[in-house]
Amino acid sequence: MFADFLLDWLSAVPGFAVPFALAALGLLVIEKAGVLSLGAEGFMLVGALSGIGAILGLGSQPLPALAVSAAAAALLSVLFSFLVVSLRVNQVIAGLSFVFLAQGLTGLIGTTEGWVNRPVEGLRSLSLIPLVDIPVIGPVLFRQDVVVFLTVPAFAVVAWFLTRTLTGLRLRAVGDGPDAADAAGIGVARMRYGAVAAGAALVGIAGGYLSVGTARIWVEGMTGGRGWIAIALVIFARWQPWRALAGALLFGAIEALIPRIAAVGVQVPQYFIAMIPYLATLGVMIWTCLRGNGGSLEPRALGVAHLREDR
Amino acid sequence: MPETAPAAMILTSRTDTKPAPKPDPAAPGRRTRRLSVEIRQHAPGWLQAAALAGGLVVGLICAAALLVAAGVSLSDLAQEFVVSILTSPESLAAVLTQAAPLSIIGLAAAIAFRVRFWNVGIEGQMIGGAIAATAVALADLGPEPLRLVLMGLAAALGGALWMLGPTLLRLRLGLNEIISTLLLNYVAFNGLLHLLYGPWRDPESNFPNSALFSSPERLADLGWQNLTYALPLAVVLMLAGWWLINLSRFGFLMRVAEANPRLGRAQGLPMTGVVLAATLLSGALAGVAGFAICAGVEHRLTQSFAAGYGFSGILIAFLARNNPLAVLVVAFAVGMLFVAGQSLQVFYQIPSSAVQLVQALIVLCVAASDFFIRHRLRWID
Repeated sequence: MFADFLLDWLSAVPGFAVPFALAALGLLVIEKAGVLSLGAEGFMLVGALSGIGAILGLGSQPLPALAVSAAAAALLSVLFSFLVVSLRVNQVIAGLSFVFLAQGLTGLIGTTEGWVNRPVEGLRSLSLIPLVDIPVIGPVLFRQDVVVFLTVPAFAVVAWFLTRTLTGLRLRAVGDGPDAADAAGIGVARMRYGAVAAGAALVGIAGGYLSVGTARIWVEGMTGGRGWIAIALVIFARWQPWRALAGALLFGAIEALIPRIAAVGVQVPQYFIAMIPYLATLGVMIWTCLRGNGGSLEPRALGVAHLREDR
Repeated sequence: MPETAPAAMILTSRTDTKPAPKPDPAAPGRRTRRLSVEIRQHAPGWLQAAALAGGLVVGLICAAALLVAAGVSLSDLAQEFVVSILTSPESLAAVLTQAAPLSIIGLAAAIAFRVRFWNVGIEGQMIGGAIAATAVALADLGPEPLRLVLMGLAAALGGALWMLGPTLLRLRLGLNEIISTLLLNYVAFNGLLHLLYGPWRDPESNFPNSALFSSPERLADLGWQNLTYALPLAVVLMLAGWWLINLSRFGFLMRVAEANPRLGRAQGLPMTGVVLAATLLSGALAGVAGFAICAGVEHRLTQSFAAGYGFSGILIAFLARNNPLAVLVVAFAVGMLFVAGQSLQVFYQIPSSAVQLVQALIVLCVAASDFFIRHRLRWID
């Protein structure tokens, strides 16, 4: 009985962890370039709507729909970059406004197009044939959908890109010391535009995965604060990719547990259970603060707009 | 707003570059001209006004374009947003009814901004305040003539309590208040749902909202349309806020905390206490706004009474430049938007989040227009 519960829970964890993981990974790329991205929730909302929109409006398959999610979020992020990189708008105000911009825009489009509450055929789970036969861990790890399988490689690629490539080094330089990077001939604005677009695309996929992959339905405001949790995850991870993945798994485990608590007959008021992810995020943030700031790879110029003429 | 032009930027900026020589039109094939951005020391008043007006106009045009694309004709938009509000007393009263809580949360956001604290948790604090006020009403605490006062005080206390956690975490641990206040919105909302679907569910209708408040628990009517004392309460609070920010000793301390808290600390000024007091006051005001909606408009505790107000508070404080008297004016304009949004929702099936969209567009455009106040563009060779 308990083993069944555990197995059922664990096999659901990756699916719940993916939105957190991809959103945190995208944020990490954006913030490593020195741009504070409080608009994550908004990019997720855009991704969630455009994924469903691609399926219902364009008749797309689920996987290309996720590409549409990425493209839509990246497109909107160019506007964000224009405001905070080129026009040097306060990044907190711009980020907050973008969340509400996306909330209003997705609500407006989704409702007028009639995409609310229309179930779609989502991503199918794949079994990695020889591996799925391993007892216990086989079904947990190797019967998942394709996005789950691609998430870990995505982290590897981003970690490799940031630490082992010249462009990654330049991106980090722009986030740590834009003046010095500028003097060294790196196009600060161009790098930030690129990082924001690439990161927003990942955050958009995270949102698209919520609607196309797990819920298979779209409702207004369906991300439910996951973008904010992802922002907290990046702080908790001290801007290190693998730690962010670990944090995402933790929150995936929490979210996967929520529907299962009631199912096994534990009597806790449901709305208290619904508070758990937010309280857990606060707890994780407090723990991060208490532990001190040692070893943090926080970009030193995070949230600081760069202008050559400022020097 | 926390970010006005930092002093260091002004000191180190190159402002007196030589005037650019006229580009030579006869030099073909060489594209060495580029757009240079310079920092302005001063922006003349006309430029500031023009930039603000330009930002507003561009924002409104974008918003109108989106709503037209969503199926509302332009003449209907003008009718809903301007004509009906300025010509019918009912609509004017509806706008003023909205403006009262909006101005209170605008003041709440402004006071927190004054000490560089981003209060993104206004909705949570409104819920905290409204729950406290409703608890007083449902328990029939105190004598009836004092019931409303008790409810208001409870609401202030509830809002301040909901703010206490993020404030202490920021002051003691340096925890980012944007995330903590925002996460607590979700916690407060779930707490509200728990009460409304559980112990406080209306026994008469069985709907998930509280029982109706009895008449001593409602803000009294002013006698014109359906306006209540929420409006005078808001005006009094704005005047008090104006005094607090501009004339009081506490206002001076807040200005030090905004400009240079390290200097203040070195001078022995109680900077931590100032931030604590200002943020708790901000939370208390948000709680009172929740009370004003419940006791003045809805006459009960409902699920979504606070929905969307948090961002409006930030928008109002931002556009009013944290000035309580300007908050009243901006709150009136946002009230118009809210009322127009309600009729768009009823008559055109435009979701209520469209109001947020319009607000976000206006904030972004006005914030972007600041660029032209602080910078000058020039072609250089």
